[in-house]
Amino acid sequence: MKIVVCVKQVAVLGDEVEFTDDARDVDPDFLDASLNEWDSYATEEALRIRENAGSDGDEIVVVSVGDGDVEPAMRRCLAMGADRATRIDHSGSRDPITIARLLAPVVNAESPDLVFCGVQSSDAVQAATGTALAELLDLARVAVVTRIELDTGARRATVHRELEGGLVDVTEVDTPALLTIQTGINQPRYATLRAIKQAEQEPIQVVAAGEEGEPAYRVRRMFAPPKGEGAELLDGSAADIARRIAGIVQERLK
Amino acid sequence: MARDPKYDILFEPIQLGPKTMKNRFYQIPHCNGFGSEKPLSQAYFRAMKAEGGYGACCTEYCSISPESDDTHRVSARLWDDEDVKNLSVMCEMLHEHGALAAAELWYGGPHAPCMESRSVPRGPSQIPSDFEYLTYAKEMDKDDIREVQQLYVDAAIRAREAGFDIVYVYGSHSYLPQQFLTPYYNKRTDEYGGSFENRARFWRETIEQVREAVGDDTAIAVRMSCDMFMGDAGTQLERDCLPFVELCDEIVDVWDINVSGISEWGEDATPSRFYPSGRLLPWQEAVKKVAKKPVLGVGRFTSPDLMVDAINSGKLDIIATCRPSISDPFLPKKIDEGRLDDIRECIGCNICISRWEIGGPPVICTQNATAGEEYRRGWHPEKFDTAENADNDVLVVGAGPAGMECAMILGKRGMRRVHLVEVADDMGGIMRWIPQLPGLGEWARVVNYRKIQIDKLRNVEFIPGTTLDANGVKEYGAEIVVIATGGYWVGDGLNGCTHDTIPGADASQPWCLTPEQIMRDGKDVPGARVVVIDNDGYFMGVSLAEKLASEGKKVTLMTHLGHIAPYMHFTLEAPNQHRKLHKLGVDIVTSHMPSRIEQGAVVATHVFDEDGHEQTWEADAVVLVTQRRSNEALYRELKDSVGFDTLRGEGITACYRIGDCEAPRLIADCVFSGHRLAREIDSENPEVPKPFIRERRVIERELAAV
Repeated sequence: MKIVVCVKQVAVLGDEVEFTDDARDVDPDFLDASLNEWDSYATEEALRIRENAGSDGDEIVVVSVGDGDVEPAMRRCLAMGADRATRIDHSGSRDPITIARLLAPVVNAESPDLVFCGVQSSDAVQAATGTALAELLDLARVAVVTRIELDTGARRATVHRELEGGLVDVTEVDTPALLTIQTGINQPRYATLRAIKQAEQEPIQVVAAGEEGEPAYRVRRMFAPPKGEGAELLDGSAADIARRIAGIVQERLK
Repeated sequence: MARDPKYDILFEPIQLGPKTMKNRFYQIPHCNGFGSEKPLSQAYFRAMKAEGGYGACCTEYCSISPESDDTHRVSARLWDDEDVKNLSVMCEMLHEHGALAAAELWYGGPHAPCMESRSVPRGPSQIPSDFEYLTYAKEMDKDDIREVQQLYVDAAIRAREAGFDIVYVYGSHSYLPQQFLTPYYNKRTDEYGGSFENRARFWRETIEQVREAVGDDTAIAVRMSCDMFMGDAGTQLERDCLPFVELCDEIVDVWDINVSGISEWGEDATPSRFYPSGRLLPWQEAVKKVAKKPVLGVGRFTSPDLMVDAINSGKLDIIATCRPSISDPFLPKKIDEGRLDDIRECIGCNICISRWEIGGPPVICTQNATAGEEYRRGWHPEKFDTAENADNDVLVVGAGPAGMECAMILGKRGMRRVHLVEVADDMGGIMRWIPQLPGLGEWARVVNYRKIQIDKLRNVEFIPGTTLDANGVKEYGAEIVVIATGGYWVGDGLNGCTHDTIPGADASQPWCLTPEQIMRDGKDVPGARVVVIDNDGYFMGVSLAEKLASEGKKVTLMTHLGHIAPYMHFTLEAPNQHRKLHKLGVDIVTSHMPSRIEQGAVVATHVFDEDGHEQTWEADAVVLVTQRRSNEALYRELKDSVGFDTLRGEGITACYRIGDCEAPRLIADCVFSGHRLAREIDSENPEVPKPFIRERRVIERELAAV
């Protein structure tokens, strides 16, 4: 069995934010980087499936899109226990449709049994890459997965999806399939210093990006929203404040 | 990041008589154990606060004469020209940072035991001190009054010569001028006693004379306690203090307003256990309403919002801080730079004050391991050299106070990777449950500050919920290993009194409990009658007694010591803790040590009873606060079973232990231990602290000539 995990190195905001001169992006000086939180759960889930239901020859392949700077996130997945990593060399548009287009041929060439993506990335929060990739690969797609019971013999998985309001949708899907993995599905393992060091020595396969096509959107401007006005601070005892709030809410509901 | 404009008022200059203070941050007089005789430690300690943005920094109480000698405690002194030279270093360094320097001129009267000078202090009346045993003053006649006032004048001139911008005529904490003002101390029937005018006369005359001598270019500060909490006998706000402010406002440049006398000055230097920030504001506001001159005062302020509110609401003009300035000398700068989550907030434990009360050791701080180490170890609270061995990875096992501090400082020193591995699901160790003891909530700041800092450090990773055995450590892949696995309260009654276990003590029984079992593990305390056995002497026994009594148990607190929690006398927590336990009906049994424990009873004898008569206390549950031991199993396994040679073969070049894991200690000392190792991780032998500079006189001569 082979599982491909598509991961992203996300940007992490510090205390302060400034934008680039063209106001289309955050100045990279104000950003840190890390492995997207959802992708660490996806990687962990792949590792657990291999540990619990796997057999010899199973392989977990990490794929990411970006320049050499995104490799630390991929190496974090290798340190957790992924077998190998492929980076699709790209430094242009990062919209999810473009990323899915670049991922599709590389993932397809792996002929995986399962493809995992995180539900979303913590920096862009589009939650679109996984779904777009499933469409391009013509794979069945299950989103926001919180539990996977895999029947390898029957090439079928029973999957729990998280819905609004705490509802759970239990669904069956034939593999190969693409699942977008929700946080909380497991507790991602930590990599020891030894594993981190070993992962640093492992080669990362770099492949040229294919045709990226037209981006799905273009960033026109980024800016901090103007400060709102009219905030009112309530003073007094908890009971006074509660009464005032109740009054304000009743007033606004009219 | 820029300062939030709502804090601008804190950075507005203010005029103090002839001097301009650049902002509203004022380090109130407080002790540090350095005085005039460790002048460089003194200067570097105060200057760190000036570097951190304080607009003015004071000496501690500064004795004006050998007849006001507080030895065994350490005060500054301005007795002679040599003292002038020594304290001038502090003034120079403060001035370099644009801060004003203030000397708190002090005459203790009957409170000064004069153990070094062997002089005799003078006082308004001959009644022994309520603070210092066996100390009497000579009752002052008119000549004495003139002479002592001249001592103030001479010391003020020396202070100006040393470079001080502000001189105090210090009364608060029941010292001489306030003694004259207070019927409790002043029983005189001449024109210096009796009516308010008479009781105020000594202080007013002294201020006048000091002002006459140095007031043209030196600001005159008066520190006054506005309530001694002793009814008619003590100083009272309406009767004494507000009239005094009106009487002297013209000749004073700044009022420093607090409360309490010396014997219960925990009402002023309030432990967080009993009081929140800003507890003195009602008195400060009352003075502010009548004073035309600026009013400053303490309140253990760490929040800039509370500071701004105190100024905007007309309660204070200047924010004075003592303990928050020890905990974070860079408090003003961090507010100025909008780095509020970098502020190392005082927890109000008063471990700093305990050192003065003990009588002499350098100041320490639970939050700031560099406090007092500025000169002698060269530590700067905000600056960290990259370690020479920064290309190493470090594994720190255990995220209690020592482990957190060590990992944080190693991160700040630029170690390649630091992994802080913890068994529990979050950081804190014992500091996850100690703040849940009654009144100790603010102590959680020890964890919160470090958690935020560690989160910001990209080279430090926190790994929760992970247990490492010796093999796990060996295989982990670190070059340097630090074991910080803490300690535990013993369950067999082993103790520092008998140096033996207590027969029958067994915390595996449901009726016998340790502090961790109650606070961390949620073990049920059965029945209604509880005996807490305290051989520790600090906060744990009394806190558990208070907690259980508040939950409705009938609690007996038994200790072999002469007092319960004697260390809390040093932290100024004792009086109010006694009141609380008394109110809760806790039965206090001192000087008794259990000879055995059985289910349902504790059998004890008086420690001075040579015949060993036994007395029995019925008990449904027994809480053992007898002693702690190190959690050293992992360290012993690494050293004794695996062996350091084997570890070296695995690429682990060093294995250290810090904090309680080495030997149980104060939380402040755990933090220090982690900090010290991280500061010296690249020294020749990090296990052994590097020598620190000892300020002392060294005799230069040939040894052979002795």
